[in-house]
Amino acid sequence: MSRLAEHFRRGGAFVWLSGTVLAFCLAMILGLVGFIAAKGMGYFWPSPLVQVQTPEGPVLGEITGREPARVEEPAKTQFRVGNRDIYGQDFRWVLSAGMGPLQYPKEALLIERLEYGPFIGRIVSLSHEGQQVATGSSALAEAEKRLPETLRIWRTIHAIEKGQVGDLNRRIERARLSRKKQESTADPAALQALDAKAAALQATYDQLQTSLEQSRAQSKAWTLSLQTADGQVKELPLGSVVRLVPANAMGRFDKLGVYLSRLWEFVADDPRESNTEGGIFPAIFGTVMMVLVMSVLVVPLGVITALYLREYAKQGWMVRAVRVAVNNLAGVPSIVFGVFGLGFFVYALGGTIDQLFFSDSLPTPTYGTGGILWASLTLALLTVPVVVVATEEALGAVPRSLREASLAMGATKWQTLWNIVIPSATPGILTGMILAIARGAGEVAPLMLTGVVKLAPSMPLDGTFPFFHLDRKFMHLGFHVYDVGFQSPNSEAAKPMVFMASFLLLLVVIILNLFALNLRRKLRERLGGSTF
Amino acid sequence: MSSISSNQARAKRMDRFMAATISGGGILIIGSVLAMLLFILKEALPLFIPPLSRAVGTLQAPRSGGVWLDESGKTVVLLSQSEGLKAMRFPGGSPLPIPTGGPVLPWRSFTPPNARGESLIIGADGRLFLTHLTWVKPPGENDPAQWTLDPQWQGGLLQPLVPSAILHFRVMEAGGLGGGSTLRIVASTSEGLSWVETSLEATHSVEWKKVPHDPSLHPTAAAWSSDGRNLFVGTREGRLVDLDPETGSAFSSSEFGEPVQSLGFALGQSSLLVGGVNGKLAAYQRVRVNEVYQLQHFHDFPRLNGPVLGFQPSQRDKRFLAWTPVQAVVDHLTTERRMFSAELDGPGLAALAPRGDLILHANDTTGSLRLWSLDAPHPEVSFGLLWGKTHYEGYGKSEYVWQSTGGTDDFEPKFSLVPLVFGTLKGTLYAMLFAFPLAVLGALYTSQFASPRLRNAIKPTVEIMAALPSVVLGFLAGLVMAPLLEKMAVEVLVYPFTILLLALLIAPFWGRLPQTFRNAFGDGREVLWMFPVLLAGLWLTSLAGPWIERVLMGGSYRTWLQTAMGVTYDQRNSLVVGFAMGFAVIPIIFTISEDALSSVPRSLTSASLACGASPWQTAWRVVLPTASPGIFSATMVGLGRAIGETMIVLMATGNTPIMDWSPFNGMRTLAANIAVEIPEAPLHGTLYRVLFLAAFLLFIFTFILNTVAELVRQRLRRRYESI
Repeated sequence: MSRLAEHFRRGGAFVWLSGTVLAFCLAMILGLVGFIAAKGMGYFWPSPLVQVQTPEGPVLGEITGREPARVEEPAKTQFRVGNRDIYGQDFRWVLSAGMGPLQYPKEALLIERLEYGPFIGRIVSLSHEGQQVATGSSALAEAEKRLPETLRIWRTIHAIEKGQVGDLNRRIERARLSRKKQESTADPAALQALDAKAAALQATYDQLQTSLEQSRAQSKAWTLSLQTADGQVKELPLGSVVRLVPANAMGRFDKLGVYLSRLWEFVADDPRESNTEGGIFPAIFGTVMMVLVMSVLVVPLGVITALYLREYAKQGWMVRAVRVAVNNLAGVPSIVFGVFGLGFFVYALGGTIDQLFFSDSLPTPTYGTGGILWASLTLALLTVPVVVVATEEALGAVPRSLREASLAMGATKWQTLWNIVIPSATPGILTGMILAIARGAGEVAPLMLTGVVKLAPSMPLDGTFPFFHLDRKFMHLGFHVYDVGFQSPNSEAAKPMVFMASFLLLLVVIILNLFALNLRRKLRERLGGSTF
Repeated sequence: MSSISSNQARAKRMDRFMAATISGGGILIIGSVLAMLLFILKEALPLFIPPLSRAVGTLQAPRSGGVWLDESGKTVVLLSQSEGLKAMRFPGGSPLPIPTGGPVLPWRSFTPPNARGESLIIGADGRLFLTHLTWVKPPGENDPAQWTLDPQWQGGLLQPLVPSAILHFRVMEAGGLGGGSTLRIVASTSEGLSWVETSLEATHSVEWKKVPHDPSLHPTAAAWSSDGRNLFVGTREGRLVDLDPETGSAFSSSEFGEPVQSLGFALGQSSLLVGGVNGKLAAYQRVRVNEVYQLQHFHDFPRLNGPVLGFQPSQRDKRFLAWTPVQAVVDHLTTERRMFSAELDGPGLAALAPRGDLILHANDTTGSLRLWSLDAPHPEVSFGLLWGKTHYEGYGKSEYVWQSTGGTDDFEPKFSLVPLVFGTLKGTLYAMLFAFPLAVLGALYTSQFASPRLRNAIKPTVEIMAALPSVVLGFLAGLVMAPLLEKMAVEVLVYPFTILLLALLIAPFWGRLPQTFRNAFGDGREVLWMFPVLLAGLWLTSLAGPWIERVLMGGSYRTWLQTAMGVTYDQRNSLVVGFAMGFAVIPIIFTISEDALSSVPRSLTSASLACGASPWQTAWRVVLPTASPGIFSATMVGLGRAIGETMIVLMATGNTPIMDWSPFNGMRTLAANIAVEIPEAPLHGTLYRVLFLAAFLLFIFTFILNTVAELVRQRLRRRYESI
């Protein structure tokens, strides 16, 4: 007994206790990252299609969850049955007790389509303009052969709708605006010219619409006749099929192919079905653009501030106070920056710009509403302390001897700074920039107030003059996570997308941070010094 | 030679130029960053600007029995028995054209127009008309001469009885198909209080009914409730009675304290304004308390001089005009604030423009008109309202409520910041309860016991954890953890205890293992051994949890919480937020604490160990106390982060602004509230400014916390240097 008491007094157990706590923290971090990675990356792997007999009829789908029996509730299995257009919902809970044996029918098929989520069932036949061409498994083979062609047509339609039609619309709108401006001067010749231009634009527009109609009709020529597990029949034009996945009949390499093609679609395509399917390319692109604009703004701001504080300002209590204040800005909640960005950049600055330069299109705001410029500026403010702190640290770590040598050779202060100090502080500045980017990429709250949207009709960078549109709203990975996970009407079906977007965001942030930490560690090893 | 000197000159010029640029730029950037605070304050401050009023003008007009002011304040419509309607410019006084038609002159009786411009008129032939005065203005036309007055005459039914004074009437828009509006009128007649319900489209006249009432009471004023079913009657005896007009039975009554002179309503028709003969001013409402409707006194306003002659509500917010023969005031119902007060020169009628920004008084004896303007952009907010309990419409008692927008135009906005501050503190508290012990113990272990290689791996891992985007944490908390916790709340709460138990059990066994084994695999690497233990704990908990739930809680923890503790369980609750936000805070506390702990001078620890203290005793009694300012500072920074965290709270709670410490309920924090409401807040409206005020508070609060932390840390650094 006394040995136990002695043991407690000397505290061996407490060392274990504190070790446990740390282990718990580490397990949480690794578990979290691993969980998200597994959930996100695993989603694209074609899972087997399971068919079971239930008292209510056969159920065919992917098993997505199991719930063990709890106090009052019996054990249940969750199936993703798809066919939202037929069943009304994607998921279905089946009582495990009444479930027959699990079957994996070879002919079961998952069809990813443009609308209503996936179809899960069997293929009956394939027809071309009403003529049956093939049935059963040969229909599947035939459909797979035809699919690339229809996909190509669909892509052209999509590209025309997005690119040319949008472009024409903008030009028509601009013609309307300039006509409105001309009306006041009432120069009939100019007005006529403008009208002619508008008419020409309209004609091109109509022509485009006709060709679109043709393509659409073409994409509807091939139709699939499908049947669900419980015998309901569905006709589906091949034009609205994205991918055919007979998961149970596929080998490992086929599955890998599907996996990679899904992954590519996710990274490189536009979202479909209110962001719950398809890709998140615009969100990735928006995030990158925003971060780029932000770093272009934040690096000079931060470096100049740090240079001033460290090299030019007279060191005293005043500079110390300013330094503390700037450092503390890093701890001010990001939503406060968002509020400032909304009030100052968007309403005050943007509103003024609109009145001065874009009064034609008022009351529709141009800069007086959220946009990528304002979001980047807000984030630049938010991350300035990060760059200032890192740069100051780097400037302080440049050995005195180097400066003195340079000054002793007769170089001016600026020459010393420019040629000696700043080059040796570059890794530090870079570290600051990377940390700022990592911080900025993960922030969502201030963006929600200053220009992020769930679905941006056009990208901030495109082929229309002036190519880079600072006033446009944009999509963002972090906001995508929030929006699809919490504002989407079908958030259960969208969950994998959210996991994948989270994983991507996490990956970017972690890689950036690792990079910055590594850089800083090397810098410190070279120059010595500590943060505390 | 010359090239060298010119080079030097150029270098000098460049040097001076860059010095000026960098200094100027630096000061400008620092200044503008700090000006952020001023800008946010500037946007919030107009909330507290006192109302500003000034006299706009006077006009001598013929005497009249009713005035109506349009919202521009440029025209006045006068009603008089002999001349009917009369419109004129203000303050010019030139007459404006009046459409013909309407009741036959001279009118027998009429009511002064109410705030909406409605008036009841009985013409010389005994026919009853309702007018709804409006100016038809061509778009963008500012000259009253181009406007036309549209009285919108309705009715025309012959009245069998011409009352001596119409006390109150209410136009009730008919629900359902085909029915026009009905009109309820209460009037005092020679036989006492009488009422009638008639339709504006009616073809035959309807009987006036006497309101039966307690003969000991003498009604002086009466008003219909908003649905027209109840009749509020004020009496000479100082009682307010809520009557059923059909039977005369009182639903409830309330003591006013002095003879009632007049009754009126604030916007929304649910707050009954009562004025007494001696100037007492109060508001009552019909509200459900303990399942029964009763007439409840809920606001008091500063007393006026003389009998309160009448009321007029604004059509925009909850302000109203009240006047006596010598004084006119505008008070705000919610804040009980007096926004305007002016001396009058005699009895008369007053009118408030629909927007509540213009006040007109017409003197009965001289006929002179006076107009004041009132500029009060945010009357619904006061310091007391933001931070104190307020008695709102429809509430049984004073409460802290945040509810900024409602479905209807007459909604009373409720801007108490207390529930939001409460929510912020609650979220922070649960996050800190979770994060503080984990982070500090973890930091202690890392700095004192971990082997250097392990330490070099742990630190960057935790730093990465600090960089995890909060939106990802929020998503996990809201969509993964919350449903999981709902299913396995008991297990989750039991798990830490299981782990602690296992950790304490392992230590003695470890001590018995051979020294060589311990040296090779153990000390400094305990963490790694604990991973399997964590898994074992998981397994044990999954066995123990259901058992505990069955044996101790009778089957289901939710019913147990409900019955034994009286607590409901929300899926997105404070526990979830505590976990997720704790997760965000742990790395912050960990990193700063670890720095402070590992910077404790070697001489101290060596001395302690040399005296025979065990490593734990050294860590606990020497290192921890020495570094405690650093840990304090770490906690402050962590607090600052938790207070301002937005996305996690937004996603992991239900965002309901309730005040309840229960860990199984949600909350709404200041930061989440801003994120939820500011996109919908109209620019420079009251809500917009209140949200800026909330942002200002967050800014100041976190800034102070961080500054304190920084100062403490600097002092500690100096102390370490001096040891």
